[in-house]
Amino acid sequence: MTNEEIMTAPIRWRRYFKWNTDHKVIGVQYLVTTFIFFLIGGVLAMMMRAELAQPGKDILDGAQYNAVMTNHGSVMIFLWIIPVFAGFANYFIPLMIGAEDMAFPNLNAASYFTFLLGGLVMMGSFFLGGANTGWTAYVPLSIIAPDGQTIWAVSLILVGTSSLMGAINFMTTIVTMRAPGMTFWRLPLFVWGMIATSLLVLLATPVLTTGLILVILDRVAGTVFFDANAGGDPILYQNIFWFYSHPAVYIMILPGMGIISEIFPVFSRKSIFGYRMIALSSLAISVLGLTVWAHHMFTSGLNPGMRVPFMITSMIIAVPTGVKMFSWLATIWDGKISFTTPMIFALGFISLFVIGGITGIFLAAIPFNIHVHDTYFIVAHLHFVLFGGSVSAIYAGVYYWFPKITGRMYNETLGKIHFGMNFVGTLLTYLPMFLAGMLGMPRRVADYAPEFTELNLLATLGGILLAFSTIPFLYNVIVSLAKGELAGSNPWRGLTLEWQTSSPPPEHNFESSPLVTSGPYDYGSAEGAQELLELAPAAGD
Amino acid sequence: MKERSILALVIITLVMLAIGYLVAINVDVMPVAASSRALLVDDLARILFGLATVVFIIVQGALIYAVVRFRKRKGDNSDAIQYRGNNTLELIWTVIPAILVTFIGIYSFRVLSEIEVHSDDEMVVEVIGQQFIWQFRYPSYDVRTQELHLPVGQQVRFEITTLDVIHSFWVPAFRAKRDATPGQVSELVITPTELGSYPIRCAELCGVGHSVMNSLVTVESEEDFLKWIAEQSGVLPTPDLEETGSIPAETEIAAEPAQLVGSSIFGRYDCGVCHVLDDAGGFGHVGPTLEGIGETAAAREPAVDARAYLLKSITRPDAFVVAGYSAGSMPQNYEDRISSEELEVLVDYLLTQ
Ligand code: HEC
Ligand SMILES: [Cu+2]
Ligand SMILES: [Cu+2]
Repeated sequence: MTNEEIMTAPIRWRRYFKWNTDHKVIGVQYLVTTFIFFLIGGVLAMMMRAELAQPGKDILDGAQYNAVMTNHGSVMIFLWIIPVFAGFANYFIPLMIGAEDMAFPNLNAASYFTFLLGGLVMMGSFFLGGANTGWTAYVPLSIIAPDGQTIWAVSLILVGTSSLMGAINFMTTIVTMRAPGMTFWRLPLFVWGMIATSLLVLLATPVLTTGLILVILDRVAGTVFFDANAGGDPILYQNIFWFYSHPAVYIMILPGMGIISEIFPVFSRKSIFGYRMIALSSLAISVLGLTVWAHHMFTSGLNPGMRVPFMITSMIIAVPTGVKMFSWLATIWDGKISFTTPMIFALGFISLFVIGGITGIFLAAIPFNIHVHDTYFIVAHLHFVLFGGSVSAIYAGVYYWFPKITGRMYNETLGKIHFGMNFVGTLLTYLPMFLAGMLGMPRRVADYAPEFTELNLLATLGGILLAFSTIPFLYNVIVSLAKGELAGSNPWRGLTLEWQTSSPPPEHNFESSPLVTSGPYDYGSAEGAQELLELAPAAGD
Repeated sequence: MKERSILALVIITLVMLAIGYLVAINVDVMPVAASSRALLVDDLARILFGLATVVFIIVQGALIYAVVRFRKRKGDNSDAIQYRGNNTLELIWTVIPAILVTFIGIYSFRVLSEIEVHSDDEMVVEVIGQQFIWQFRYPSYDVRTQELHLPVGQQVRFEITTLDVIHSFWVPAFRAKRDATPGQVSELVITPTELGSYPIRCAELCGVGHSVMNSLVTVESEEDFLKWIAEQSGVLPTPDLEETGSIPAETEIAAEPAQLVGSSIFGRYDCGVCHVLDDAGGFGHVGPTLEGIGETAAAREPAVDARAYLLKSITRPDAFVVAGYSAGSMPQNYEDRISSEELEVLVDYLLTQ
């Protein structure tokens, strides 16, 4: 099929609603489903911001607030950020390494449907009274919580299992299905990010699953794993929980960093600076990421002697993160930057993520941590990392690959309006929270002392801006899907393999199996990398 | 050229140091500091903010400079000049952050060791968390209260426990926080240094009333403190403290016998923390007001008379849940805690309200 034929062919909608083993279909299923969950999580966030706009109980009572808050966190983490990257990885890993599909196509479809089931079960739990313990679900609160809590725990086990299936598939695909010439040191950095992420998923997720099963047993079978009165240990739960959930932060940011590393070279027309250091720092972050979990427990019943070792590991992890930041800056330095929407989202990522990163070091400093732990300072920090960081990277990725997935260009003006609202909204929402936390506002409260009113009102205004920022985005996607300009195979003149095939790619990705002879970011020809499709050598002879 | 860029580097470094220093000495983002520990933590915070500002400006500055300076020119489709790495540069931005975090780590460690030193003449205060109230017990005076009073300058060791779920005892003005974990006694030491009253807040999500699980700590002179203690207990302080002679005679009040009076039972079991009831000093807004509860109770459930309704509301709080409130928000263990005689008196008392 030629490009024109693909474009004029009607989108085959129905396959997106079925068991389909094409990694591209599964990728789109993931991307669209997770975005719907993002909107649901956003509505929950806006309910909280509405309640908190003024002190006093306004629209939610204590129990409703806790259920909304718990599900906001769980939806955003488990049904949006973690799986949306599975969507990108599904669509792009095979394309980027020159493979026809994933190693286990059926497992891949199974992973999507397990995720979908998990998501629906979580929604169900919400309507059955809901988990109301925060996404951390600390015992014994989560043991005495209403029935919705059990269902919620089951939903997390399902989603975790889906994520394990994905990780096995990504690792196997990357190790065994690379095109001829695609050595490990020629892998695009997004693929490296997914290697690091999948390792973490494989090592950490089973631990969370175990913890959740123990919670369920304590709840329904009368066991006492965590019941202090019967000799159980509530701190054990915290160790188990954070052994997964701290690495989860890296599961949520490493793929995003991978996307950023794809975007900067393309739109600066420059090779990535320090390719190997960026790839290795991802691995370093995932190994170190497994050793820092107790920094969430500096004020808990943890043995105080355990705090300093965890402070040290938490401080060390700042170093590979810094390496990435500076390497990105060096990548755009002296480049020829074009300000497309993905590029400005990537630049915004740096600007916002650095705030999350620096405050992370504040939190590793134990005496400071003791003051701000479990306050709005934490809420601000984690949202700069996950919203300013991960979500900026996700939006960057969506705009960057939109032409590849749909075959059509998006509208730049709308994209920039979206960026502006998102960027200002993020600062306005989360900056005041740092101050509120330091001044004494605990997190997860449905009400607060009047002295925090101004700061909360600002955060609510920022939240409204963020909510509205999705409108230009959605409008852009819908209109561009129908009427966007045809993209052609390589609108960004990128060098990675996904651009060396038509948009959207044909059923088996490449007309002929690609042979890789150079790195993913080898920019530098005087006339630019224009004729790539033709330059990409055909293999098979 | 080389000399000029070295000069520029030196100037930038000096300017950065100056900015960092100015931020560190001027930053004012913490609440009042009312303990010796708070001053040390605030110094650490200043250093963190100073360093953070420098890193922030360098990164955002480089970003903005690059964005302004290295735009693509219209019509220029060629690639940029390539350099793929630079060992010196990469070494610098690995080593400098490593040095910075080492410094922060060592400094934090020193602050940590200093703020957690115990002394021999610590006063012990037991902090007991419970959904959704704090109680404080002074073992040396045998006093139990819901407000915390501390003598200024006296090192205190809190022994923190919980009767139900995890709570977290936090006094922002002291920069001190520690979880109350089931099955454990957790310690926290502070020395209050400033007279005044400061909020106590629960920092760990503990259920529907988490946001109202607040109290107050009053730091006062030793004299006022002992006076307050005497008011609470109605008994003379322990002899060794009497020797200091700081108890004015007129504050000695007779010990209240454990009498069966409705309003005092109401107080003893902390009903007033969650319910408004002027007559018994109830002030809380977690639950519905109990003003006029005699009539309300009669009207609540057509099939249940007022007395039975009240009994059930206290012993099985989830049997009837008042509209607009959620099940599980009233303590579930009154049945075990309140004796049946007390319960009778309490219900009789409520019926008259
Ligand atoms: C931690 C907060 C809390 C404490 C302490 C508490 N209550 Fe309640 N109470 C509530 C809440 C919330 C409700 C409403 C929900 C419900 O009906 O269970 C309630 C409901 C009631 C009702 C029903 C009121 C009506 O209008 O129908 C009565 C009576 C009552 N409480 C009495 C008491 C008494 C007596 C005590 C002390 C022994 C007490 N409560 C302690 C929170 C509390
Ligand atoms: Cu609490
Ligand atoms: Cu609480």
